[in-house]
Amino acid sequence: MNAQPVIDVVNLSKAFGPKVVLSNVNLQVREGESLVVLGGSGTGKTVLLRNIMGLLKPDAGHVAVEGKIIAQLDREELFKVRQKIGMCFQMAALFDSMSVEENVGFSLKRHTTMTRAEVADRVDECLGLVGLKGTNHLRPSELSGGMKRRVGFARAIALKPEILLFDEPTTGLDPVMTDVIGRVILDLKHELGVTTITITHDLKSAFEIADRIALLFRGECIACEAPADFRRNPNPVVQQFLKGDADGPFLQDPPPPKRAMSRALHPPPA
Amino acid sequence: MIVRALDKIGAKLLVMMDQAGDFALLSGRTFAAIPRSPFDTPNLMRQFLAVGVNSIPVVVLTSLAVSMVFAVQLSFGFKQFQAEGLASQVEGLAVVRELAPVITGLMMSGRVGSAMAAELGTMQVTEQIDALECLATDPIHYLFVPRLLAAAIMLPLLTGLSIYVGYWGGYGLLVGVEGQSSFVYQAEFFKLLGFRDLRIALTKGLVFGVIIALVGCWRGYRTQGGAEGVGNAPTSSVVTSSLWILIADFFLTKLLLV
Ligand SMILES: Nc1ncnc2c1ncn2[C@@H]1O[C@H](COP(=O)(O)OP(=O)(O)OP(=O)(O)O)[C@@H](O)[C@H]1O
Ligand SMILES: [Mg+2]
Repeated sequence: MNAQPVIDVVNLSKAFGPKVVLSNVNLQVREGESLVVLGGSGTGKTVLLRNIMGLLKPDAGHVAVEGKIIAQLDREELFKVRQKIGMCFQMAALFDSMSVEENVGFSLKRHTTMTRAEVADRVDECLGLVGLKGTNHLRPSELSGGMKRRVGFARAIALKPEILLFDEPTTGLDPVMTDVIGRVILDLKHELGVTTITITHDLKSAFEIADRIALLFRGECIACEAPADFRRNPNPVVQQFLKGDADGPFLQDPPPPKRAMSRALHPPPA
Repeated sequence: MIVRALDKIGAKLLVMMDQAGDFALLSGRTFAAIPRSPFDTPNLMRQFLAVGVNSIPVVVLTSLAVSMVFAVQLSFGFKQFQAEGLASQVEGLAVVRELAPVITGLMMSGRVGSAMAAELGTMQVTEQIDALECLATDPIHYLFVPRLLAAAIMLPLLTGLSIYVGYWGGYGLLVGVEGQSSFVYQAEFFKLLGFRDLRIALTKGLVFGVIIALVGCWRGYRTQGGAEGVGNAPTSSVVTSSLWILIADFFLTKLLLV
């Protein structure tokens, strides 16, 4: 096994003003490994990915990709590293003045010497993977939310990057399409050996694609282990997250009482 | 009381210095990025179209209006001391040296600079600029450079067009309405002008183009905070670039005319 992790997050801390989002997060992703990051809404999963991409600067600690510390690179080197990384945004972030085809082929046109026909082939291939054949000439404004997300996915994988970061690629997709995306991620991993970090709220696909699962909780990474171990993790936060229960230590504020309970507490006037 | 006022002034000053530094930095990076590959010709052509070709009607109409109004004022003014002949000379001077470049610059800052600010601002708040970064594309290189080149090349051309239209605007009024001789107008219009004046006018166009593009792109790029931010970006870009156009005009005139 390769000694040096491809993505090395070391003591990463990030705060926005007084609000601490990440504190001392440590994560290592080895080559060819697929890490799934779980966590409640607003716990800083997106912030983590943005730090890895160099879109945000860490307050403390650092992120190293293939041994290069992202925050210390100059812009030229940073763009070199980014060419090896594909990122799929939570809100898709498609270029809305371009067609679907131009969006997906964007990095191919800029970073490769592929001919027009080769680019078109690759674009069709990527769109085919996410079930969007024939949408080439539509504009992002003509797509549904889930379609946008899939185009964003296709754009991220077009250049065949060695590292892929997915920010909730399946949220808002139907269960079948979710499974398709999961399969595409697995295929990429097995065929091209890509290293991936996937953020998801979908536990089924998380357990399917993960080599390891990490759980972010209040800015810290409280678990990072193989799926089987993760399931057996005794930490009550992990167990509550897996069960999807409202009651437990997961929420800062107590959840609203269940209907049955509230009726027991405040019986309706007879 | 006084301390607090000083405090406020100081804070404002710091913010302004900060912004000036940021603007200078981004401008420097834009100029440095011009020769970098890949050269995106279709993108540049789109900007030429947006900045140059599509602006022709605006420039023609405003130049016509301003030159004609100016001719009316001149002929009225010079009539006071029976020197109508001078009107066409001064018209030429005013149109070539000041009216054409400044009017074109101001109109373009409203038409083109604000559009740049709005476009880049929208891209910023919808994460499209982050997406560009993630696709290993420098937004400065991809977004700023074509706009800067288009504005820097098109503004002098539009200034030239404005001078041409201004000539005929003055002609229409002084010859057509006031009844001066067309032959005399044609000779008098250029009497006080040298080739140098055309060069100054085009230089002004170039500088104004650079100001418009850089301020527009900078304002858009630094947009924060959703729809309100996107709304503010064009406004502040127009105000800032108009101000700088007028300031630059003064110094260019002063420096280049000596
Ligand atoms: N640019 C920013 N400025 C200020 N606060 C921010 C910024 N970006 C994120 N935050 C804060 O950081 C926290 C984490 O945000 P983040 O987007 O990482 O959440 P998330 O884990 O991705 O949640 P979700 O699952 O809902 O996408 C949020 O509470 C948010 O308020
Ligand atoms: Mg998120």
